[in-house]
Amino acid sequence: MPEILPADPVARQWNARATSVAEIESQLSRIWSAAAEEATEDGMSADAAADALGDPRVAGHLLASGHVRVRARTRVLTLVVVASRPETAERAVAVVETLAGRHPSRAILLAPGDPDGPSTLDARLSMTCTLRGDNLTETCAERILLHAGGELSRHLAGVVTPLLIHDLPVVLWWPDDPPIGTRQFRELVETCDELLVDTASFRDDGVARLTAMAAAVAAGVPAVRDVGWMRLEMWREQLAGLFDHPLLTAELPTIRSVRIDVLRPAHILRISKALGFAGWLASALDWEVAQPLEPKPGSESLAGAWTDGRHEVRLELRPVNPQGAAPLRAAGSLQRVELELGRGRHSVRARVSRQPDHLLATAEWDGAEIARRVGRRDRFEEAPYVTEALDRLGHDRIFEEAVRHAARLVPR
Amino acid sequence: MTVARARSTARLAAPRVVPPGRAPAGGRAASAARGAHANPLRTGLRLERVPEPNTIVVFGATGDLTHRKIVPALYNLRRVGLLPPETAIVGFARRSQTDDAFRGDLREAVATHSRVPIQDAIWQDVAAGVFYQQGDFGDPAAYTRLSERLEEIDVSRGTRGNRLFYLATPPSTTPEIIENLGKAGLDAEGRGRGWARVVVEKPFGSDLASAHQLNRDIARVFRESQVYRIDHYLGKETVRNLLVFRFGNGIFEPIWNRRYVDHVQITVSEALGVAGRGAFYEEAGASRDILQNHMLQLVSLVAMEPPIAFAADDLRNEKLRVLRAIDSDWTEERIARDVVRGQYGPGWSGGEEVPGYREEHEVAPDSTTETFVALKLEIQNWRWADVPFYLRVGKRLPKQATEISIQFKRPPLMLFRDTQSDPEANLLALRIQPDEGILLRFSAKVPGLGLDVRSVNMDFTYGSSFASDAPEAYETLLLDVMLGDASLFTRSDEVEAAWSIVTPINQTWAWWDAHGQAPELPNYAAGTWGPDKADHLVERDGRRWRRL
Repeated sequence: MPEILPADPVARQWNARATSVAEIESQLSRIWSAAAEEATEDGMSADAAADALGDPRVAGHLLASGHVRVRARTRVLTLVVVASRPETAERAVAVVETLAGRHPSRAILLAPGDPDGPSTLDARLSMTCTLRGDNLTETCAERILLHAGGELSRHLAGVVTPLLIHDLPVVLWWPDDPPIGTRQFRELVETCDELLVDTASFRDDGVARLTAMAAAVAAGVPAVRDVGWMRLEMWREQLAGLFDHPLLTAELPTIRSVRIDVLRPAHILRISKALGFAGWLASALDWEVAQPLEPKPGSESLAGAWTDGRHEVRLELRPVNPQGAAPLRAAGSLQRVELELGRGRHSVRARVSRQPDHLLATAEWDGAEIARRVGRRDRFEEAPYVTEALDRLGHDRIFEEAVRHAARLVPR
Repeated sequence: MTVARARSTARLAAPRVVPPGRAPAGGRAASAARGAHANPLRTGLRLERVPEPNTIVVFGATGDLTHRKIVPALYNLRRVGLLPPETAIVGFARRSQTDDAFRGDLREAVATHSRVPIQDAIWQDVAAGVFYQQGDFGDPAAYTRLSERLEEIDVSRGTRGNRLFYLATPPSTTPEIIENLGKAGLDAEGRGRGWARVVVEKPFGSDLASAHQLNRDIARVFRESQVYRIDHYLGKETVRNLLVFRFGNGIFEPIWNRRYVDHVQITVSEALGVAGRGAFYEEAGASRDILQNHMLQLVSLVAMEPPIAFAADDLRNEKLRVLRAIDSDWTEERIARDVVRGQYGPGWSGGEEVPGYREEHEVAPDSTTETFVALKLEIQNWRWADVPFYLRVGKRLPKQATEISIQFKRPPLMLFRDTQSDPEANLLALRIQPDEGILLRFSAKVPGLGLDVRSVNMDFTYGSSFASDAPEAYETLLLDVMLGDASLFTRSDEVEAAWSIVTPINQTWAWWDAHGQAPELPNYAAGTWGPDKADHLVERDGRRWRRL
């Protein structure tokens, strides 16, 4: 997980407002000019100007005439965020602010308003330049918070396209339940190279959206990333860590059953994350679905099965009710994963469970504990995951395979 | 996480890996662990490259390197989950002290030198695996006791017989430590044991003969694949980026040759003097301290052919070919012409008046040790024939800077003859430190009615594109040793090839000194860019040093 550097107090901000796309572009230019002029007024030394311009004589000449305009303008991507609810917009703004240092970018936050009201566009622009690190390197990030109302809110792609930075990757982050399959969704996705969603925000049990996402992943364009999947990394790490033990590695082909306990604070059991985890196991261990999930008689669980070609591997997704501090976790969070292994002479049990402040992984061999690992739990905040997604643009083949396998578990 | 909770977590983390009725770390267990993809669940994980549990034995455990670099690096690897929880650290040194005292000592070291503030929970986790073993480097019995201790640790911590021996000791002790490790059987690998690797710090000898002897001493006990000669420069992010830059981009390789490149400059400049290391520097000088290792490594990375794979021996084979292609036929005339020896006198550096080298602590008042070297090298192969490589390295120069600059040839025809400014040739500069980054200089038209052309810089600075928390070189390198990846370490034949370039120069200088032919030293003032002769070296070819 990348570390996010704390905001440095040495920061400067410029703000503007605009009511049309053309005005947004001209205001951004104006902001950059203002920033550049300030860089000169700040007393840029002749040496610094010469370094920046590459020619000491020209720098000297321009400095004398007061014409030096220099401010580093490094941007690495355009981030488009669709925040369909005001609270999502607030959340997204907070995340975007933490990204500025690591990914100096243009962030366009789209907040669609009432589609039946008058057609309006209200954009709030800001640029923040911050000095960081020992060398006080300056990074600048632009943010455009765009409220679109009326008919315009149905054509957001048309607003976004002129504002994309040429040739740089475009990441579309849809923090809420994304309306996969709708025209609006399709048009916005066509503008981007990478789509970032969160399976944990998928509505209802998450299954319909997961299936739609699997189709999008299979299409291959754009690359899809999932915050929910990234939250599973520590779970995967803990389970994989147990099987680093040479005795347990050898037992991997003997897995008989997998049980995943899923937090269910309300009446609906959201299984999209658990499906992702199960899909990952199946793809890593080369299992194929023998029986899609269906309600398990006499319980609230869902049950299904894979086959490794010779043996059956049973799967159970079991709802558990929140206890203690657990309600703080989102519905559908994993609480415990338990694997039963061993055929014949011995029996092995490998388990990862959520503890109040860490994940605990243990393995037992005929009832005696042979491995125990403690790892930090998945982080609650969203920003580190978004940062990680931006760090690793492109396809995540492991995720894509996991989604493909997960979708096959869904009852037809 | 509260401290109390953290401690309980650390206790929980203590592994018990001995299953009922099984040997702790041998046989099938150890051999299974060495399988390349033994654990399919690891594939694709961010921590895919997690080393196997092991015991790191640090010789010279009470020394500066252990405190400033090695242990803070191990702590940070643990912090990000790259050091398995079973890992143990055993300090070996002459001083007598308890495990707890050693733990307290290392905690202080991490608190002082770690690049991020120490977190007690993580430190407790590391400290649970820290031990101290008192012993004299020359006492074979001490190694027997060490061996017994390591076997106990294998059982109690689950380190599976994997051992990393880190020699953070003065170079003179290396042969006896290696020899005694061998006598105690600590070099052995395979057949039910884990791996055994040894890390040796530079200097790797002081000339070709001593390097050859050192390599022979090491080879009597360890196979070359077990030996990791560490040069922390190679662990720096930008040095590694040099490989990505050259071989991960398609646009540079076609012009990376004698047809387009006019010459190459490499500068390693330090603003500091010898800073309390007078005695060491008197023996080494700039040629042994920097030129033979750091600079020649940079030359080989810049000039090498694309390796057939990004694997240790493929990389090192290509680097070695460059070193062997460097013209090492150093006649006296050529040394007098192409190599400049300098030593700083008193002067002003960074706004302070500073003494000359001969006035520094532990330096002889008539010392002829060089604090500056500039030289012109030729790489005699098809790619680089007739392209001079100018190298300069020095102390008490105006600023700290390490930079490689590739100067391209001028355009064949100057179309813009009426322009008042004279555009410079294109330049590609790779800055290693500070402000790691890459700069490309090209010509552009000055806005206006005239046709004035000026050079502008397109400057990629790591800091402003990735405000990330880059690992320390020692973290990268220690992780690589534990993973068995020797790509960034120097092989014995590379070391000897580099010495065969530098040793004839040192020998000629020594002969001149003994026969009253030494140059007049000091020959540059502290805070300047070295002797005038260094400028002449480049200017006589119609070029000049890049202004840094």
